[in-house]
Amino acid sequence: MKIVVAVKVVADDQDIFVSGDRSLDYSKARQIISTYDTNAIEAAAQLAADNDGTVVAISASTTKADDTKVKKDILSRGIDELFMVADDSLETADSYATAQVLKGIVDANASDYDLILCGDGSADLYAGQVDVQLAAALDVPVINEVTGLKVEGDKVVVERTLEDEVEEIEVPLPAVISVSPNVATPRIPGMREILAAGKKPSSVEGLAGALETKVEVEDIKAPEMTPRKNEIFAEGDIDAFAAAVAEALK
Amino acid sequence: MADFDAIVIGAGCAGNVAAYTLASAGKAVLVVERGNYAGAKNMTGGRIYTHSLAKVFPDYQDAPLQRKITHERISLMSPDSNFTVDYSARELEEAGNESYSVLRGPFDQWLAEKAENAGAEYIYGIAVEDLIIENGKVSGIIAFGDEITADVVILADGVNSLLTSKAGLSKKAPAINQVAVGAKETIELPAEVIESRFLCNPGEGSSWLFAGDCSNGIVGGAFIYANQDSVSVGIVATMSEVLKQDIPVYQMLENFKQRPEIAPLIRDGKTVEYSGHVVPEGGLHMMPEIVGDGVLVAGDAAMLCMNLGYTVRGMDLAVASGQIAGEAAIKALDAGDTSKAGLAQYKTMLDNSFVMRDMKLYESAPEFLETSPMMFRGVPEMLRDIMTPLFKNNGEPRQHVMQIAMPVVKKMGLFKLAKFAMKAVKSL
Repeated sequence: MKIVVAVKVVADDQDIFVSGDRSLDYSKARQIISTYDTNAIEAAAQLAADNDGTVVAISASTTKADDTKVKKDILSRGIDELFMVADDSLETADSYATAQVLKGIVDANASDYDLILCGDGSADLYAGQVDVQLAAALDVPVINEVTGLKVEGDKVVVERTLEDEVEEIEVPLPAVISVSPNVATPRIPGMREILAAGKKPSSVEGLAGALETKVEVEDIKAPEMTPRKNEIFAEGDIDAFAAAVAEALK
Repeated sequence: MADFDAIVIGAGCAGNVAAYTLASAGKAVLVVERGNYAGAKNMTGGRIYTHSLAKVFPDYQDAPLQRKITHERISLMSPDSNFTVDYSARELEEAGNESYSVLRGPFDQWLAEKAENAGAEYIYGIAVEDLIIENGKVSGIIAFGDEITADVVILADGVNSLLTSKAGLSKKAPAINQVAVGAKETIELPAEVIESRFLCNPGEGSSWLFAGDCSNGIVGGAFIYANQDSVSVGIVATMSEVLKQDIPVYQMLENFKQRPEIAPLIRDGKTVEYSGHVVPEGGLHMMPEIVGDGVLVAGDAAMLCMNLGYTVRGMDLAVASGQIAGEAAIKALDAGDTSKAGLAQYKTMLDNSFVMRDMKLYESAPEFLETSPMMFRGVPEMLRDIMTPLFKNNGEPRQHVMQIAMPVVKKMGLFKLAKFAMKAVKSL
């Protein structure tokens, strides 16, 4: 069984700062695997281990992602091989464009796939659209918000946890499935896995051809901070303070 | 057959340099660092004397060093006064003598990259839990159930090295009077603002050490280092004394920043980093055994650090000890004997280097600072009581310097002061 998992590489949100003009400062942020994609990677690795399969990771990223540490991190999580397209034009890629690039990677390197897994949404845009658009581009079925999955012959049986029941759906393969974070807890790669990751095959290519986007980004700004009200109560005036708190809680 | 020739634990100054030295000689080296990148867990005041770095990397000028230190400032701070000496000398700026302010995040990554380019392998984000010890010989490391073996293990895992005691090399945990606790803020300011506030040319900076009221009058001090686009401001105080205080170290730092002498230096700056760390200050007496069967200890883990009050060193010692540990390991590996006897030359080589020569020379410095409370509460006030009348003109009758100074000195005790001065010149 051949499983493909789509991985986005993003700036670590811990180190993105908001500048005075509400623009975002990425200069201190390192590149990391988008958080929910680590769950998808784990689900893929477990599925492959249980079904004697292989997992390849695919990624459409900017050239910043072409970083030994990031690639090693991906490959130390039970992934057999990594195919990355790294091009700075992807900085402004929307879900459509990303899906097209991912389709290109799949067609060129993993066209014999059985299953493609995606994370719940990316840590930066969280559009949750790439899975659907990738499936459309590949013309295969897609199902999202999956909380459990197992392979049965030439189909997968997935679970979707709804408000008061768990839905079980059979999906014929090949298919694209996006998984919720609770589908699997990401592993902490061990020393052996990290060492092995350095020796696994990975390829990075630039983007062939122009990027077609459907969404135009006008501006990216942090939300405006609401100024504090600065209501100061005189010492001892606890009743007025309590009344104000009660009012605010209403 | 072991997995690696050598495993280095810790990607700081000592560890990276040891790894670089080994890898450059064609040895298979693995570095395991618990932070997510080199320097993630490291903290320094920070200033590095570059003489030992230059020996390892002739191109050390390309390292992300901050500013060349051209002003040495030392202050004695009483609760309401501050006496400062500002010294600059061309000789201190010459190659071989010079020092730089440094931020460990970028600097340690540069070192790690050097080692990696030389062929060392790196594992980040893993804290080594234990050592594999076979028949008394350290033969590898253990983390999360994974075991990796090597002919020699170099412990460069910093001041809180648990592995040194697992290797049976440290006598016991350092006493609370042998370690200091430090808190530091990195405050961002534009380069030209730093240059005008600290009176420096572009690319040049200052080191500024304070003793006295900044640590609430206990053994310790404050520091300010001018970096390229930030200043490092911090407090270091001996742990045993901190425990007796009613104000915690972070409050000391806050109070220090509020001082009228300090506030204008950091005004409108943005705090971008806040960190705390333990500093080994016991000197020679707290050093563990640095050679064991299959194992060497370098850098802070070997407690190679000296605080003389006017000079604080650690990184140049770490770099040199890392290099020497690497060289000793290469010799032992080539001779096919990484037992304690085979590695023993590390100690000999270190003893013959400036590292141990200086550690021994300043052997009694920690004890001097610890047993001289007047240095931190007494002398700063005495200076104030002499200096203030010198500069005070308010129409009241003035006195000669001798008349001002003698009563103040006598109040402190002439004999006590003389004894203090003698002890100071002997141990520092």
